[in-house]
Amino acid sequence: MSLRLNLKKKPDVPVEADSICPDKMEGLSLKDISALPLHHGNEQITVGDLFSITGKVNGEICLEGDTSRFKMVGASMSKGRLLIKGSIGQHVGVAMSGGEIIVGKNADNWVGPEMSGGRITVKGNAGHMVGCAYRGGQVGVTGGEIIIHGNAGNEAGNTMRDGLIAVGGSCGDFTGINMLAGTIIVLGEMGWRTGAAMKRGTIISMQDTEMLPTFTYACSYRPDFLRLYLRHLRKLGLPIEDAWISGCYHRWSGDSIELNRGEVLILDR
Amino acid sequence: MMRVAEKAKSEGNIKIVEDATCTFCGCLCDDMVLTVDVDAKKITKAKNACVLGKALFLNYEEEDRPFALIGGKEATTAEAVEEAAQILANARFPIIYGMSDTTCETQRKAVGLMDMLGGTIDSTTSVCHGPTGMALQGVGESTATLGEIKNRADLVIYWGGNPAESLPRHFARYAVTAKGMYTPNRKKDRTIVNIDVRHTKSVPVADIFIQVKPGADFELLWALRALVKNRHVDPNIEKKTGVSMKTMKDLVERMKNCRYGVLFFGMGLTMTRGRHFNSAAILSLGSDLNEYTHFIATPMRGHGNVTGADTVVAWQTGYPFGVNFSRGYPKFNPGEFTATDMFVRGDADAGLILASDPGSNFTQAAVDHMKKIPMIVLDPKYTHTAKLARVAFTTAHYGINVPGTAYRSDGVPIELRTCLDSKYPSDEEVITAIYRRVEQLLIAKKRSKGANNKRQKAA
Repeated sequence: MSLRLNLKKKPDVPVEADSICPDKMEGLSLKDISALPLHHGNEQITVGDLFSITGKVNGEICLEGDTSRFKMVGASMSKGRLLIKGSIGQHVGVAMSGGEIIVGKNADNWVGPEMSGGRITVKGNAGHMVGCAYRGGQVGVTGGEIIIHGNAGNEAGNTMRDGLIAVGGSCGDFTGINMLAGTIIVLGEMGWRTGAAMKRGTIISMQDTEMLPTFTYACSYRPDFLRLYLRHLRKLGLPIEDAWISGCYHRWSGDSIELNRGEVLILDR
Repeated sequence: MMRVAEKAKSEGNIKIVEDATCTFCGCLCDDMVLTVDVDAKKITKAKNACVLGKALFLNYEEEDRPFALIGGKEATTAEAVEEAAQILANARFPIIYGMSDTTCETQRKAVGLMDMLGGTIDSTTSVCHGPTGMALQGVGESTATLGEIKNRADLVIYWGGNPAESLPRHFARYAVTAKGMYTPNRKKDRTIVNIDVRHTKSVPVADIFIQVKPGADFELLWALRALVKNRHVDPNIEKKTGVSMKTMKDLVERMKNCRYGVLFFGMGLTMTRGRHFNSAAILSLGSDLNEYTHFIATPMRGHGNVTGADTVVAWQTGYPFGVNFSRGYPKFNPGEFTATDMFVRGDADAGLILASDPGSNFTQAAVDHMKKIPMIVLDPKYTHTAKLARVAFTTAHYGINVPGTAYRSDGVPIELRTCLDSKYPSDEEVITAIYRRVEQLLIAKKRSKGANNKRQKAA
């Protein structure tokens, strides 16, 4: 049985809950966990003030109730599992380096910003800035996987350097902007200005999209590496069609304003 | 409060105030000559003022309103200060918003108040040139003062702005018909380009007008950047932007070969789809052109002292707007700590609106939340937001009744001279009074919490 944190009452204002993380609860008694700090607006409270705590500490935490106002859950997580039954607030899995976070419903903006390892799965939709760098930051995600089953907002993978972001639904504008490396796979439609200022990296979409004028059509081919990625995503529960695995893709090179070593692969329908 | 030596001459009931500053727009023209009828408490003439400045000065009238309202009922300033302080001291996620029409001295006090409360501070920047503030963190900027532009610029490009109507003296004082050190023949020494989605009143001033399709500014900027760098550009860009490749290449040649170029950009760029990336694209274009010549890119700011709000919040906290102190140190995150987002999400549990009227221009969802929480408003006028507020203060008008400092849109500080006295307090005085009372309440709260903890431990 995992450690269960059951929300007593939805807080009136946002709560910064970076202490809700397997790393920070490891080796603590239920009483110690209850005394861990949370930031309820400008007031410091404890985990026990908002949650009833049961179960045992074994590296897995189950968060129950409407936690959509809880920010920074799983911050700097390096191991263990965090199961969030409902929706979660902003900055889930910020700077995460290992372990797994599963969000049962939706996640607000900034899912896994600047993460370097581990996996975040969102069963519903995610907000803007999935796997991004913070404003003014030069490097975003440097490793790990973010899997969104629903839609994602703008700027998914902004400045990502490595790792995988997969979106089962559609994405907003500026997917992979300023991308340095890594892979973004979007099964639905992408918004405007995909890959703007990307230096390297790969963005893949199963739907047609309008390219920026600084991208050049290179060729059509069947990339081997993509089969591995798509089979992996199918195992993770994304609805991957056989035709996509064996399909032919148009390769666009860009962004010529930068190094022109990035690629956008669009399924040839 | 800093007092500026008044340059005023009096004759009977008529006073002439020279070098007064107009605070209507970001130009902050500081060459006003105001004729004031002291007995009638009216400004009768505003020499050098543009149509907007005249509207500000000649329509000025001190309304006979209560000093304060609590729940719509008349109250004294002291009673309202007490009520406001109670609201803020008991809030967990308060926000101060506005600050674009007040002095830097008041803005500084507002930052101190939010720092003490562990709340959030945001200015009207977040709904105008906030995207530019975000962009320049990522790509930097090549910039200059308007004085340097006046003296040196021989290629002036206006993009997504309509200064003829929003900053009327921009052309005459700085960029088009102004006589500069190296542009003695005024407009003859300059090439003026206007890029916009529509034919505005600023277009007749321009030598070249380029009409871009709505929503295609980013693509046009991106194509220009590529052409400046001699990179490939897809010919389909003409269809997307509505601008021919020939026009783009001509503009690029002019930009590369000018002596000193400037890109002025407005909210037509920063508040359309792409926002901070549109700003980043134009700032980057300005920087790219420095490979060939001297080029700068600078925003055209609207409200009188909105640049001051950015400047003061930045030197106090390290960030220009959207700053939160709830963890005891400043955190910057537009989208999370910006006023409209906080109201729409229902995060804020109290609000202090300083010299601004979000009730008239925020989204309905944001206004709906503002109606639900206790709001405090400081404004010379009875605004839409004041009507929603639990506590509304009537304050004196900065630049007319209240002296101080304001920043011009290029970041140059300008002193404000007064021309008339007011019976109402300045917003700086009200904020200071609220600060002092909140400080007392927080100390009392801390003591009471400490005593409770001791009692619990003893038990």
